[in-house]
Amino acid sequence: MIAWVDVALGPAEWQALRVSMEVSVLATCLVALPGIGLGLLLGRCQFRGKLMLDALIHLPLVLTPVVVGLLLLMAFGREGLLGIDLAFTRGAAVLASAVIALPLVVRSVRTAAELVDDRLLEAAAVLGAGPLRRFWDVLLPLTRPGIAAGLTLGFARSLGEFGATITFAGNIAGETRTLPSAIYTASQTPGGDGAAMGLTLASVALSFFALLASEWWMRRSRAKGNP
Amino acid sequence: MVDEAQSRQGQPLSARFRFSAELSRPTLDVSVEASGDVLGLFGRSGAGKSTLLAALVGLVKGARVEVEVDGERLVDTDAGLAPPVHRRGMGMVFQDHRLFPHRSVRANLTYGMPAARGKGPPFEDVVQILGLTDLLDSMPGACSGGERQRVALGRAILSAPKLLLLDEPLASLDRGLRREILPYLASLRDAYRIPMIYVSHELEELLAITDEILLLEEGRVRGLGSAAELAMQDQCLELLHDCGLVFTLPCEFSRRTADGLVWVQSAGGHGIACGDFEGAEDPPGGAAVDLLLRPEDVILARPGMDAELSLTNRIEGRIRRITKTARRVLVEMECGGPEPLLAEVTERALQRLDLREGSPAMALFKAQATRGRLRTK
Repeated sequence: MIAWVDVALGPAEWQALRVSMEVSVLATCLVALPGIGLGLLLGRCQFRGKLMLDALIHLPLVLTPVVVGLLLLMAFGREGLLGIDLAFTRGAAVLASAVIALPLVVRSVRTAAELVDDRLLEAAAVLGAGPLRRFWDVLLPLTRPGIAAGLTLGFARSLGEFGATITFAGNIAGETRTLPSAIYTASQTPGGDGAAMGLTLASVALSFFALLASEWWMRRSRAKGNP
Repeated sequence: MVDEAQSRQGQPLSARFRFSAELSRPTLDVSVEASGDVLGLFGRSGAGKSTLLAALVGLVKGARVEVEVDGERLVDTDAGLAPPVHRRGMGMVFQDHRLFPHRSVRANLTYGMPAARGKGPPFEDVVQILGLTDLLDSMPGACSGGERQRVALGRAILSAPKLLLLDEPLASLDRGLRREILPYLASLRDAYRIPMIYVSHELEELLAITDEILLLEEGRVRGLGSAAELAMQDQCLELLHDCGLVFTLPCEFSRRTADGLVWVQSAGGHGIACGDFEGAEDPPGGAAVDLLLRPEDVILARPGMDAELSLTNRIEGRIRRITKTARRVLVEMECGGPEPLLAEVTERALQRLDLREGSPAMALFKAQATRGRLRTK
């Protein structure tokens, strides 16, 4: 098994795997706080412009990732609107993945937050719990399965991110060449079929384990009494 | 803190409370001054009982509310005293237990204790009274319906409310479980003397815990008093009758005979056979019990009537009052004790027997029509 993997995955492929893991982990960390916050905001609060915010967050879900990559390039490129040049760096790969993963995290958290029973929050209030305690003790724990599911989905989506990454971060070996970019490169290179196949299998395994982990998480929290 | 708890127990038994609530939709216009440990709130579903409690505790927006318990003003929205729900100092037990599913029974019970700032009753005592010792480490999902409701009760008591609102706390349980939990509730009431407002649409359930009943209809007060007092007011009679009017006679337990009948002695000295007695075990002789009886099960006769009948219970007394509505005649009969006996008869029977206020009469009822239970108030 190991020998076969070694045959299929040379040092360059292992490098792509490592870059992919690093980018996905960082992107998930980056998206966690805004994703949870926006999910709770959309799931629990009524405010003006909620519909607009909702649509804006979900845009990357329906736009082709290449467009997202271009928009990021316009914002964070060399002559970008924000004056920060991130293009074609590891940071760009992370940001691209995070933006693509955000709607998945928000959706999952929002759905879980909407399902939290208002009557439990009322009960907590009658027991003397102020807004902060109600948030920490009731809302957040009951949203936890949705948060876990959202982050896992976001992580898995990051692993597969291609269009936005290659547009905004490029395809620099060892820097921004993630698994999908490496597969693309290998498949475009004569004699690269073996490497492409090896990388494909690696992606399938990685995504599969990510989904297994999320399912395990959900079951464990359900066994603990979460809805 | 301990001193405070003790002095609270040393206080005269009844709390005085005053509350009013006004709301435009749904209509609510209630203003009440009452004393006693427990005020029973009774009425049909949709009468505004739950809305009233929700308004008092602050869960309804736009309500004008005033609440005063033992001279302490908890809420007065008109005077700008309108604390948010978590600072009103009131506790609430809901029909659906509303336990936190992700917290153990212990963590549910202790949830309101920080806000109580040590003024609440000791944790161990409440757990013991409610029989929750073996459940502390379970999750609510693993508890039965009755156990969950007991946890909800304990959780509310431990938050040391100055006024405890109970919104049909037993309505989701079947009759057997209800009978099982009522004594726990009575012991909590007796142990901690927290003033309570208890909502129910079952008169029988209310009578197990209080004699003071507030009758509500369409968001307005219809009457305040004991079930018998309310029934004798013609504006309440129809409503009470529709909701299944029962009344209680205070008695003492005598004995159980071999034929299964339980014999009790009424406060007026009459021996009464009752066909059903609640509880797994019979109480000792002399124990205070309540006899539950429906006015439509009571037959009136001229005194001295000695026809051979299958029924067992005959009590002689004097008619104190007769209340008539378009559809009903209710007769209140004095029979020695402090509480009257109520009989529902027809106008025709009243005329045929020539019964009027002040005349002597005999009440007859079957043993099977009565039920006894240990007195818990």
